[in-house]
Amino acid sequence: MVINLQHQTFDLLPEKAILWKEKSSLLVADLHIGKTTHFRKSGIGIPPDMERQNYENLSTLILNHEVDRVIFLGDLFHSVHNAQWEVLNNMLDMFPEVTFDLVMGNHDILPYKMYLSSRLKIYDILDEPPFTLSHFPLANHAHYNICGHLHPAVVLKGTGKQRLKLPCFIFSERQGVLPSFGAFTGNAVIRPNNGDRVYVVTQDRVISLK
Amino acid sequence: MNATDGIGKQIFDWFDAQNWTPYPFQTQTWEACVKGKCGIVNAPTGSGKTFALFLGLLSAFHQSGHSPQKSGLKVIWISPIRALAKEIKISMERALNALDLSWQVAIRSGDTSTSARKKQWSSPPDILITTPESVHILMSKKGYAKYFIGLFGIVIDEWHELMGSKRGVQVELALSRLKSLNPGLLIWGISATIGNLHEALDVLLGPKGGRDGLLVTSDIRKEIAVHSIFPDNVEKYSWGGHLGIALADKIMPIIEGSASTLIFTNTRGQCEIWYQKILDLRPDLAGVIAMHHGSISRELRDWVEEALYDGRLKAVVCTSSLDLGVDFRPVETIIQIGSPKSVARFVQRAGRSGHQPEARSEIFFLPTHALELVEAAALRRAVSSGNIELRTPYLRSWDVLIQYLMTLAVSDGFDADQIYEEVKSTFCYSSMTRSEWKNLLNFLLHGSQSLKAYDEYKKVVIDNAIYRTTDRRIAQRHRMSIGTIVSEAMINVRFLSGGRIGAVEEWFASHLEPGDSFWFAGRPLELVMIKDMTMLVRKSKKVTRRIPSYLGGRLPLSSEMSEVLREKIYNYTQGKIEDAEVERLKPLWTMQNTLSILPREDEFLIEYFESKEGYHLLMYPFEGRFVHEGMGALLAKRITNKLSITFSIAMNDYGFELLSDKPIDVENIINKDLFSMKNLITDIQGSINATELARRKFRDIARISGLIFQGYPGKIKKQRHLQASSSLLFDVFRDYEPNSLLFLQTFDEVMTFQLEEARLRNALNRIQGQYLLFAYPSKPTPLAFPIIVDRMREKMTSEKLEDRIRKMTLDFTK
Repeated sequence: MVINLQHQTFDLLPEKAILWKEKSSLLVADLHIGKTTHFRKSGIGIPPDMERQNYENLSTLILNHEVDRVIFLGDLFHSVHNAQWEVLNNMLDMFPEVTFDLVMGNHDILPYKMYLSSRLKIYDILDEPPFTLSHFPLANHAHYNICGHLHPAVVLKGTGKQRLKLPCFIFSERQGVLPSFGAFTGNAVIRPNNGDRVYVVTQDRVISLK
Repeated sequence: MNATDGIGKQIFDWFDAQNWTPYPFQTQTWEACVKGKCGIVNAPTGSGKTFALFLGLLSAFHQSGHSPQKSGLKVIWISPIRALAKEIKISMERALNALDLSWQVAIRSGDTSTSARKKQWSSPPDILITTPESVHILMSKKGYAKYFIGLFGIVIDEWHELMGSKRGVQVELALSRLKSLNPGLLIWGISATIGNLHEALDVLLGPKGGRDGLLVTSDIRKEIAVHSIFPDNVEKYSWGGHLGIALADKIMPIIEGSASTLIFTNTRGQCEIWYQKILDLRPDLAGVIAMHHGSISRELRDWVEEALYDGRLKAVVCTSSLDLGVDFRPVETIIQIGSPKSVARFVQRAGRSGHQPEARSEIFFLPTHALELVEAAALRRAVSSGNIELRTPYLRSWDVLIQYLMTLAVSDGFDADQIYEEVKSTFCYSSMTRSEWKNLLNFLLHGSQSLKAYDEYKKVVIDNAIYRTTDRRIAQRHRMSIGTIVSEAMINVRFLSGGRIGAVEEWFASHLEPGDSFWFAGRPLELVMIKDMTMLVRKSKKVTRRIPSYLGGRLPLSSEMSEVLREKIYNYTQGKIEDAEVERLKPLWTMQNTLSILPREDEFLIEYFESKEGYHLLMYPFEGRFVHEGMGALLAKRITNKLSITFSIAMNDYGFELLSDKPIDVENIINKDLFSMKNLITDIQGSINATELARRKFRDIARISGLIFQGYPGKIKKQRHLQASSSLLFDVFRDYEPNSLLFLQTFDEVMTFQLEEARLRNALNRIQGQYLLFAYPSKPTPLAFPIIVDRMREKMTSEKLEDRIRKMTLDFTK
């Protein structure tokens, strides 16, 4: 689903990422890498395969869309250090031509030097005109704000009381929010305002809601 | 028991001195205990069952040559209801006193203070009255085996209640361990009458022990008089109501004419509304009526119970929270609002009145909608024929077993081969295979059934062939999570000035803004703020109709009730009218016959009509809402195999509705094949995936098995990075480990308890022998109306997601 935002071309991907065509950049939010492992280290037996899913999804996107740059909009790594941090870095190393930027989120709590020794360039807020990129939705921002953090989803209702909850991209006048990218992340139902553009994500498609 | 020797003589002397004569079932139990037998005592409340077993165990202990002076735990008395513990303790102490035994009796439950618990651990009482959870918590302590060695007898009170729940499985597991520590342990259950008492014996004692178990039944029977409260005008009385408030003035004379009355409602919300209504009608009753339900604070409930006990209350509006517990002698009359759904519950409630010997129990039935009157007739019939429901025991509850194994791992550790034999000897796990056992151990060791996962997972390790947990934080978290009662997230309600009033579900609180008023615990309250998982409130003067509702599932009409209900309706179609209730419903039956048809025994009614909501397809198996949910899902699934169409399903205890936005050619589409038993499981489970039933069930399983940590009680959620919703976990297991025993258990539980597979099969079988009767009413019929009003929608679709989304509108409310 290709949309135009601030005279830029965004391809909203069903993998729950945005391809910013003019910049060959990939925007992804809320991967929560290492979450499964964090649970497992604490004795909670979550199936371990999900971690791999995140890497597969991400590397496929980088390869298929010939991306030059990946911008993580926060909550890249779920919690304190575990072995997935090294796995993640190995994966990033597989793409020497690609730049990786991380706008810090509330879950990104690793010691500073770990980020410094990785391929990641880190930012609190990243101004990339005509956009201001952040993890949290910002109240004051120079440009149109693109962010994550909310894990947005909407509930759809139809006749016969059907009810369906789907993750979504949502763009209001001054702000756009990405759905969470991670395989092991939940979502939160939001209430769009009139005039908001909402794009729901199904298995393999992004659909605009009018 | 020999009456001439030692303690036996003392017991008879004491009874003589009190002018009591032991009932035959009491002496029978005493004798059985002395002979070293195990079993179940089946006797109604207030018949002296505590003495039957307690004195039996004392005699047996005495005759077995044990020294009563020897210190250590001798008897455990498991009571699922905390309120009863105190009364049991008083009875025991009375007997110990009379028999000159200086044994110490202690109570241990969730309410027991930390210091008292510590004392109970360091110097064990002779007798411990406790709950299934507390026994497991004791087993999670280092050195537990030493604590329990020397145990002589264990009694499980209200076994019929425990048996149909996972708390019953906890009891089975605890017994398997205690038996192994103490060969010859005397195990006795106490049970009210249920349809499967012999099975109850097998569940309690294990399939092997059950064979030698004894069933001691008292012949004390109580007469129950069932009266209906009739609306003046059946045609005008609500067809689809659920409150019954319109008949409130009719219960005033009943309350007047009785010393004390219990008014049973089916939900906490209904309880609040009725309390409010009675006060509206009779403000002069303020102070002498009260309300009682599970969300009101313990202190308030205790006050109500004491006042009831002392005869200070004229009436109490309550829920199942007063089904069990101590006897309130002043209570003379019971009023049941709406269908009690089961004969056992109705009998239990009726039994809460008329405690004087030979007094009969009086119970009034108040229908919440007109058709419910038939249920009064059905109840009367079922009560007189003694047609009491079965309690279905849980089988192969892997979640409870995982929790139990962890309990052993955090205390003294366990030997896998030995525990395998013990677990295998229980009723619940008797069909467990070696490979299932291995899978469970793998889950504990590697966090996955398959051995592929070797990562940083940490929970249980094998240390010198003993499975144990070495991580203290994991052990601590586990001890905090022992138990199988999974409740909704609750928020405390407290006055700004202090004083806890009770708790409401988190989602209700999340819909309130400061300044909003709501009605709770029988008074209007205003929300001031929410702080630290507590709603701070003050009294409000505003009139409000906002009442917390609770998500708790509604119970289905039992199989026994359904059967008599069908019989009553079929009899009417034959011109046989046996009850005033059925007679009074004549106008409704006539209307049903005019608009559609009232089905006979050999007919299965299918109604179809269009309204602005869509196309309504209704069917009436009269089998209870759970079976209807399953049958509705099954039919929807099978129809959507033939047509591209979306249905939503609604049901009540009489029938179900499939609503769609497209017309269907009913007589071409609906035939007996749709009700076929072929591929039943596949078709239902295919539909379950879509209807989310399993997803909801998985929540309990995830919590019990430790996949979800509920946090420390009373504290704000810590360890945020370990929080995941059960719905997300469900998706993860479905996508990544669908053969996990825990995931499969979800579907088994849905089939057995949620969709009542056995009943569903019976119903489908019955329909195969019936004639499908199509009717096209111009508007909702008396049978259809309550279903349409009482909607709980499930979706079921074969249309492509994208097509559906196009047809849907964005919902702007949460």
